[in-house]
Amino acid sequence: MQEPLRRFTPFSRGQLVLLGLMAAAPLFGESLAASGRTVVVYAILALGLNIVVGWTGLLHLGIAAFAAIGAYAYGILTCEIYPFQLGFWGGLAAAAAFGAVAGALLGAPTLRLRGDYLAIVTLGFGEIVQDALKNLDTITKGTQGINPLPGATVPGVSLLSSASQVAATKSSSVADGVAVSGTDWLGWLQISNETPVRWYFLYLFVLAAIVFLCRNLEFSRLGRQWFAVREDELAARCMAIEPDKAKLKAFAIGAALAALSGAMLASVLSSTGEPSNYDFQISILALCIVIVGGIGSITGILVGAIAMIGLNNVALPAISDAMQKAGIGSTSNVFTSPNNYKYLTFGLALVLMMRFRPDGIVHSRKAVRK
Amino acid sequence: MRFGGLTAVKDVSVEVAQGSITAVIGPNGAGKTTLFNAITGVYEPTEGRVLVSGRDPRRSLDGRVIVSCVAIGIATAFFLAIAVRVEALWTASVIELYEYQKAFPWAKALGAFGSSLFGGGFWGTWVPLLLGLVFGTSGRFVIWSRSRRTPDVVASAGVARTFQNIRLFPELSLVENVVVGMDRRLTSGFVAALLALPSALRERAQARGEALKLLDFVGLGDKAEDAAGNLPYGHQRRLEIARALASRPDVILLDEPAAGMNPTETVDLMRLIRAIRDNGTTVVLIEHHMRVVMGISDRIHVLQYGEKIAEGTPIEIKNDPKCIEAYLGKEELG
Repeated sequence: MQEPLRRFTPFSRGQLVLLGLMAAAPLFGESLAASGRTVVVYAILALGLNIVVGWTGLLHLGIAAFAAIGAYAYGILTCEIYPFQLGFWGGLAAAAAFGAVAGALLGAPTLRLRGDYLAIVTLGFGEIVQDALKNLDTITKGTQGINPLPGATVPGVSLLSSASQVAATKSSSVADGVAVSGTDWLGWLQISNETPVRWYFLYLFVLAAIVFLCRNLEFSRLGRQWFAVREDELAARCMAIEPDKAKLKAFAIGAALAALSGAMLASVLSSTGEPSNYDFQISILALCIVIVGGIGSITGILVGAIAMIGLNNVALPAISDAMQKAGIGSTSNVFTSPNNYKYLTFGLALVLMMRFRPDGIVHSRKAVRK
Repeated sequence: MRFGGLTAVKDVSVEVAQGSITAVIGPNGAGKTTLFNAITGVYEPTEGRVLVSGRDPRRSLDGRVIVSCVAIGIATAFFLAIAVRVEALWTASVIELYEYQKAFPWAKALGAFGSSLFGGGFWGTWVPLLLGLVFGTSGRFVIWSRSRRTPDVVASAGVARTFQNIRLFPELSLVENVVVGMDRRLTSGFVAALLALPSALRERAQARGEALKLLDFVGLGDKAEDAAGNLPYGHQRRLEIARALASRPDVILLDEPAAGMNPTETVDLMRLIRAIRDNGTTVVLIEHHMRVVMGISDRIHVLQYGEKIAEGTPIEIKNDPKCIEAYLGKEELG
């Protein structure tokens, strides 16, 4: 019986719906687009974690350390107080590469550890990276963080605009109108903090590209090796798969994505922030997104990121603002400000998920991979 | 094969002719599965060797290994030497040379970095370099020497197996289980996978097509997209056989393939094993089910208490007093 093979599409239907929903977010105001960048960043972080936890079955409790490495790599390689100044895209690429190398360096000697022991190693690594960044203050500026950092640019625009400026000064004497319309067109591609919608769409585009790449991996030979290692390492070995290599690749790719997300967040904030911003809570938040959304499912992780970060960074502050405007509650009282309930809602969400839907909002394990 | 002071299997020599069906039988605890585990690399035998077509499946100590050991050693050495003095190196090569908004003298910085790296004196430079080299090289070598004969090496040499306590990938579909078994024959690399290049997609489609044929061969073609964990017991055993066959092995080791099967399934299984042999794959099986063993084996080896007590054709074994004793106990005399 030869059934027709499913045609391979770049995105699944669920992923298209979610990316479409996210693309519609700026319709509800610029501020939603501004905080939407954070949703995108955490979605990328969680997608990286998912490769390690969801697909390869290794418990990783230190993913925030790789976000920190990415953020600081981006900071050092782009900030004007250092000589490198690679710019936005160069910084992102270098941050991801640094993340991958750091992941491989941590993974190579430790991935032979089993289960809980690996979790302890990753947990410890998360703490070590924070302390190292704090104490290497000749390089990392310690607790001040590195700033200011360059914001996003559309690739090639800076070159085009400088070229058109040269052209404009040359041609200004000849025909003013042409040069002005040229810079107008380029002006649409300029991104800054005043244009959060454009910035958001650029990030959304990066997210879509990463969803595409992750989905390719999921259905590739490497993805199949990861699943086999997760399901039964010995059986996978007896099928001529080398689990150590498969795990190392998962670790490095997950770390690269985490570092990319750290760099993208640093660009939004224009600062790396202090090292303790990348603490255990960020790792747990990323793990929450993976678990609540649906472990092992890309669609689920998009849902999880929208739900958790949306609640954390959009809904709760909005409710707080509204309450303040209406004169209910006060910021002085800890209990009446919804902003202070975010960890409560995380805990509650996890408990409820475990009770009612242990596979996450979007099931991946029950729906068999085809 | 010894575990500490316990000798589990001792002086067992099994020779398997190409294209034959060989059975290993014996009472519970005789060491049959331990023998399989030692053959497939799950355990490293304390003494003795396994030869497949005259060769020992084992990673050979060639130039690549030595190069990789030394390369990792050198990388570790520099990593350590840079790590212990990272702030001094940074100060010398970046902070002292970089002036805000002026061109950075890259060549000079590189020179300053180098002279600072090697200018740390005995404790600052040479001890870290030496320690890194020693630990890096020896660590890589130890890991390599411990993985010389892991199951993936043996499997790559063309020895596939099934397990007594079924070990499928329960959350993958039947097809995916079989395609995992094919892994050693697949070639698509990381970049092709990441970008879903046509070559990778074509390979995947071919592999799935082949997997469906294999599932048909073992009689599971109509369930191809179900989760392996949801299959009934007898079907799971057949799926394991299909997965093992997917790598096109020279030898397939079946550990109690008929366990838990009903009589009809057992008859089907016997037909299946003969078909595997007729396709050119050598079969070695452990089995308690005497009808299966006597019905299909070309040669039978009998183990008891970790030692081989008999070897021969089914008829010879049936009439061998030692084997009867091992299975039924000694006849009371007098």
